[in-house]
Amino acid sequence: MERTATEPLLSCQGVDKYFGALAAVRDMTFDVFQGEALGIGGPNGAGKTTLFDVISGLNPATAGTITFDGKTITRATPDRTCQLGMARTFQFNAGFDTLTARENTLIAAYFGRHNRMIPGMKFDRETQRLADEAMAFVGMDEVAHETVRTLPVYHRKLLMVAGALATQPKMLLMDEPVGGLNPQEIDEVMALVQRLKECGLTIMLIEHVMRFLVRLSDRVLIMHHGEKIFEGSASGLVHDKTVVDVYLGEGSSRRLQHILEDQPAP
Amino acid sequence: MFETGPNWRRDVAIGAILIAVMIAIPFLGPSRYFIGQLTLFFLWATVVSQWNLVFGVGGIFSLAQMAIFAFGGFATGMMGLYLGISLWIALPLAGIGSILFSLLIGLACLRLRGPYVALLTLAIAQVMYLLIITDTACFYMEGVTCRNFTGGTRGLAKFGDFGFREMLGRREYLKGDYYLSLFVLTLAVVFSFAIIRSPLGFAFRALRDNPEYGISRGLNRFKYQLLVFAMSAFFTGLAGGVFAGHFRVIGANVLHLPLLLFLISMMVVGGLGRAWGPILGAALVMLADEGMKDFVEIRNMGYGALIVAIVVLLPQGAAGGLEQIWDWGHRQLLRLRGGRDPAATGRAEVRQRK
Repeated sequence: MERTATEPLLSCQGVDKYFGALAAVRDMTFDVFQGEALGIGGPNGAGKTTLFDVISGLNPATAGTITFDGKTITRATPDRTCQLGMARTFQFNAGFDTLTARENTLIAAYFGRHNRMIPGMKFDRETQRLADEAMAFVGMDEVAHETVRTLPVYHRKLLMVAGALATQPKMLLMDEPVGGLNPQEIDEVMALVQRLKECGLTIMLIEHVMRFLVRLSDRVLIMHHGEKIFEGSASGLVHDKTVVDVYLGEGSSRRLQHILEDQPAP
Repeated sequence: MFETGPNWRRDVAIGAILIAVMIAIPFLGPSRYFIGQLTLFFLWATVVSQWNLVFGVGGIFSLAQMAIFAFGGFATGMMGLYLGISLWIALPLAGIGSILFSLLIGLACLRLRGPYVALLTLAIAQVMYLLIITDTACFYMEGVTCRNFTGGTRGLAKFGDFGFREMLGRREYLKGDYYLSLFVLTLAVVFSFAIIRSPLGFAFRALRDNPEYGISRGLNRFKYQLLVFAMSAFFTGLAGGVFAGHFRVIGANVLHLPLLLFLISMMVVGGLGRAWGPILGAALVMLADEGMKDFVEIRNMGYGALIVAIVVLLPQGAAGGLEQIWDWGHRQLLRLRGGRDPAATGRAEVRQRK
C-alpha cells in the first residue's frame, strides 16, 4: 500500500536465468505499472515463458531482483507469489483433470488468496462466491460441473483465466492465451482481456498472434535469445529495424501496420 | 459441519447401520475369540484408515505407520508403568505425542519424493525395532530380575489395562476393550471422511492431477503433506495405546515386516484413497486370513492370490468396485422410475437457469 502511483507494480532489475552455461533470460530490466498491459513477443525459444517462470517463482532467477507490490519476490515460491496477488495462466492446457471446472476454481479461490496454515473443513461462502463470479465472468457457468478432462481447448483456456481471477490477483500473467484457438474464439478471448483491462487489472501477456498482442498491449516488449531487443509502443514496433529483421519480417510488419491503422489510437 | 459430498446420506446410513450392528454383536453371545478378533479388526481398520489418508489421499509413500502405532503403544505403556498414571490419561497424551513424533519424521522425510520416502520411513521403523530388541541395560530391578526401559525382547508389560477387568469381571472384560476400539475406529473414520471431502482433500487431488499448476494456484505440497502426516498420527497412536492396554503388553513385534505388509494389503484390497476402502479392505483381508487358518500350507499362497485378484480385477479396490455397482444401480433405478440420468438432468437445469 506504500506504493505511490509512479512506482511500478512489478519491477525486474537485471534478471538473469542460466541453465548451466545457457542464458535463457539475460539482463532483463523493465517495469510494469498499475493498470497497464505489457505484451511480450519474440521468436520461439526467446525465453518468454522462462521469464514468466522466473517472475512467478516456478524457476527462480540466477541473478537480479524482482519486486512486486513493494515486496521483493526474487526467491518467492509460486504459491507465495500467487497469494501476493500474481496469477498466471499457462501455455499448455493446465488444470486439475479429474475434478470439475467449478472445483478447479474453488481450489484457486480457497488456497490462492492467502496462506492457509490449517485449511478448514469446507469451502466457505466467500470462496464459493468468488469462484462462481470468476466462472461467470469468463462465461463458463454452463459447464461448471463438467469434469475438466472432457472440456474442449477453448474452455480449458478460459478455465485457467477463471482460476487466476478467483485468486483476486493484482496482476495477471497470461502465457499464449489464444494459442491453438480459431479466429472466432480469439476474438472472444480478446473481448475478455479487454474487459479485464477495463476492470483495472494489470496484465502481462505473451502471444505469437500479433494482432492480439498489438491490439491489447499498451506497450510491447520483444525478446530474442533471452534479451530485450525492443520496448515501446506497438506502433514503434513495425518501424524498428531489429524487430522486423529477427522476428516480424517485411510482410507481417506491413500487415501489422494496417491493423494498427484500422484501430483508433489507444 | 463439513463438506458433505454427493453420497453423504448413503454414507451416513451405512455408517449408522454398521455401528448399530457392531454395538449389538456382544449381546448376541459370541465367543470370546470372535470378540477378540473384532477388537483387533477395529484397531487395524483404524490404522489403515489413517494410513489411507497419508498414502491414498496425500500421495505420501510412507511406511512409518506402524512406527507411529508402536510409539503410541509404548508411550501409553511407559506412562502407565513409570509415571503410574491411569491408561485413560496416558492414552490421549500418547495420541498427542504421536503427532509430535510424526511431525519429526515428516520434517525429515517429506522433502524427499516417492520411493525415497518409503526407504527412509522404513529405516526409521527398523531402527526403532533394533533399539528396542537390543535394549539390555537395566532400567530398574524387579526383585532380582533386571528390567529394560523399553521391555527389550520380552516386551513392555505390567502397566495395567483400561480397568475393564475390575469393572466387568474376568468373563466380560473383553467387551470393554471391544467398545473402546469401536469408539476409536468411529472417530478415526469420521475424521478421515471429513479430510477426504475437505478443501485439503481437494488440494491433494489437485496436486496429484497437476503439481505445477497446483503450486501456481497457492497449493504448497510440503506444508499440506506434513499437515496430513501429523494429523493422521493421532488416531494411529491411539490405536497403538488401545492395543497395548488390550493385550497388557506391547513389544517390538508390532514393527515386524509381515504385519506391515498385512496392513498395506488391506489398503490395496479396499481401494487406495477411497473413503470406505480401509474398512472394507481390513474386513476382507482379515476374513481371508481367518478362512485360511486351517490350511497352513496354502495360507500365504491363498493370501497372495487374493491380492493379485483384486489388483487385476478391481484396480480401484473393493470400495471402487462397489462404488461402480452403486452408481450403475442408481442409474437403473432412476431409469425404471422414468427419470433421467441424474448428471444429465443437473446440466439441463443449469442451462435452463441461464
